[in-house]
This record gives sequence, C-alpha cells and structure tokens, in this order.
Amino acid sequence: MSKHLLKFTVNGKDHALVVESHERLLDVLRNRLGLKGTKEGCSTGDCGICAVIMDGRLVNSCLVLAIQARNKKITTIEAIGTAENPHPLQRQFIKFNAAQCGFCIPGMILASKVLLDNNPSPTDEEIKEAIRGTLCRCTGYQSIVRAVKAAALEMKKR
Amino acid sequence: MLRRFDVYVPENLEDLLNYLNDHSSEVQLIANGTDLINRIQRRQVDPRVLVDLSGFSEFSYVRKNNGTIRIGALTTIQDLISSPVLGRRYDVFRDVASRFGGPSIVNVATVGGNICAASSSEDLIPVLLVLDANVRVRSKRGERVIRLEDFLIGKRQTTILPNEILVETMFDELDDQSSCAFEKIGMRNALIIAFLNCCVNLKLSKENKRIEEIKIAMNRVFGKIPSRAKKTEAELRGKSLTRVQLENAITSLKKELQLTSDFRASKEYRQEVAPVLFKRALIKCLERLGEKIDV
Repeated sequence: MSKHLLKFTVNGKDHALVVESHERLLDVLRNRLGLKGTKEGCSTGDCGICAVIMDGRLVNSCLVLAIQARNKKITTIEAIGTAENPHPLQRQFIKFNAAQCGFCIPGMILASKVLLDNNPSPTDEEIKEAIRGTLCRCTGYQSIVRAVKAAALEMKKR
Repeated sequence: MLRRFDVYVPENLEDLLNYLNDHSSEVQLIANGTDLINRIQRRQVDPRVLVDLSGFSEFSYVRKNNGTIRIGALTTIQDLISSPVLGRRYDVFRDVASRFGGPSIVNVATVGGNICAASSSEDLIPVLLVLDANVRVRSKRGERVIRLEDFLIGKRQTTILPNEILVETMFDELDDQSSCAFEKIGMRNALIIAFLNCCVNLKLSKENKRIEEIKIAMNRVFGKIPSRAKKTEAELRGKSLTRVQLENAITSLKKELQLTSDFRASKEYRQEVAPVLFKRALIKCLERLGEKIDV
C-alpha cells in the first residue's frame, strides 16, 4: 500500500511513475523529474515559494501529497518561457530588477501568471492580492508589482 | 521529505466507508492537506495511515434549497467565495477569504478541513457558529446531523467518530434584515493565524431598528476554543444600538471572554483588541444593512 502508481501531466508531458505515500508533489517534481526550478522554502505552506499551477490554480507543492496530484495537470516554472524566448513576465522582471536573490521568483512568476491568465489588466491592488502568499525578503515587492504591470501591458499589445 | 506513512486511496465512497469501519483506530483522514501536512512537517502529529479524501469531488458544492444553504465538506475556500449561490448577503465569507491565506492556500483549503481541524486558527468556525450551522457526518451505518456548537468540544477535538466522515455543513439562509461580518487581527494579512477574530450576525427589526437578534462568535471566548459570547448577545437583544448600549455590551464582552496568553499574543493585548474587533464587525454589519451608528 505504501507505493502508488502516479499518472499525471507535467508541463504538457504525461508521466506514470511509482511514488511512495509520504512523497510530496514537491519531492517528485524535484527529485524524480529533475525539475529543480520549483524551490523548497518553508515546507509548511507559509512562504509560497514552492508554488506550482495545478489544474489552473496556484497550489503549494509542499502541501500536496504526490499521490493527490493523480490525473492533474501541473505547470512548473520550467514551462514558462526559455532563456532565448522568455515569457513577458520574465522579460519585465529582468527589466525592472524584480529579482535579487531570485529564490522566490519561480513562485512569484507562477502566482503572477495565474493572475494574468484570469485578469489581463490587473490594478496594483489586484497584483498585491495575487502575490500576497509569496514571500520575498529582498526586493520589497515594489519592483515586482511594476514588472507584473508592465508584463500585463506587453501581453495586451501582442 | 516527510516522515514515512502510508496513504490509502479509496476507490469510491462505499470503499471509503468500509475501510474506515474496518480500520478506524489507526487512520487519519486527509482532505487537501493544508493543515495536516503542515502539522506532520512540524512533527505535531505522526500518522501511520492517511486516508485520502481529495478525490471525492462529489463533496464539493454550494447549494441552496428550501431556505437552507448546504456546503460540501470538500468545497475549497476559493470555490466558496466564487459560488453564484452565495451573493452579496454572504460577503462574510469574502471577509474570511481575504484574510485567510494567499491564493495557494485559499485554492486548496477546504470547508470540511477547517471545521474538523477544530482549533482557534480556523477562521470559518466563528462564521458558521453565528450562522447556527449544523454538520452532517456519515459512516457505513448511516448519517447524523449535529449542531456545530456541539460538534466542537475542545482544541482539535470534535464528536466525530473514527469511522465517520464529515459530509457537509448547512445553515438557514440569511433574511434581508440580517447581515454578517468577520474581523481578524494577526501579524500580517495573508497567511496568518489570528491573535483573535470575531464574527457578528446582526438582525434588526423592521419597525424600530432595534436588535432583534445578534450572534457573536470569537475564536477564543473560553481559552482556545472558538465559541459564542452568549451573555453579551443577551445583553444586546431587543435593545437599540446607541453608544451607551454599545459600551454596556463591550463591558459585558470583556467580562465574558476568558482569554489566555500564548506565543502569538498576551492575554492583556487580546483583551484590548477584542472590543475593537467586535465594534468593527458590528459597524460592518450595520453598513451592509444600510444603517449607521455614531461610535
């Protein structure tokens, strides 16, 4: 009983792997699938750094048991743009110096992406609402909010 | 990595109820895990077997029939506030969600999980207490309906039996003379466990705007259990909401609260902020009813 066959989709690719009961989604993404972009922060759901998108909603991967992600569609930071062709959010985060140490940025970008997917023209308040569960201890958030706003404009122009 | 445990994933509801009936002593239920995984990580609990409820989407709903609102145990806080069934009259749930946690918690945490976790940090409990909610539990042998007030018996203690699951919570619809509001104080707005919270359900009489009915709940009325401040409610019932009357109510509330100190806040601090939260919630109720009070 302690092992389960986990079938799920990560970044558009179907996976079937045997996981142990106590493994978290975070553990499977990082250790089994090698997707190290998802960072482990507090491990208790307080910091939002390990956030991924599960069936269109932001979730903390440290609080989801791997087996609970069965039949779900997961999006991690690896599926958001590339170095050659960054997502508008990534381009604007760079432009506005919205990353300092960078540790929270995968969670921050994913939280912002879910916001823009549902609300293409957010106000500053709505941006702050969307990232309120993601802790950044370096930037002070101002440049992050500006970057998300600029990304929204860039995406609208396309 | 978490410490080792097993997870049982039931095939269907029948399998779940049978499994709980046969293994009730050694298992713990898990919904979406926002509270439980955290507690496992902090080594506050050390389960051997978890039974996964997260797949039972049939228990995720908000329904209204014959004057009763029914909320399925696996309804997430996000589902609750986006439900078309709960209109502006139920903005109290939006009050809770906006102070409950970030999106990654609100999207996942469930109504049933909040009720069964049964601690002073579960913000939904005071709201459901002022709505006089009931809970429905089910086992292989049948169902029971219990008043939420009787269901909660202590910190992290409920009257649910090991072979039962919580199915739904239900309460009577609010009428148009009634309004609810929730207030909370903690260290930060997102993701915070309240030092103190307060929920008020106020009903004004149509004729003279006196208080026809009032229900007040806080997460810490007696020690660490969320409950109603019934003496203060009685003090206000039938009265007009004047400044003097409000001061009397606050005196009564201070007497009624048996607050304690812990690492989050001192007893003295809680005593200072309790009347403020109560006043704020009351003012919000009045605003929602289109009324004003000079305080």
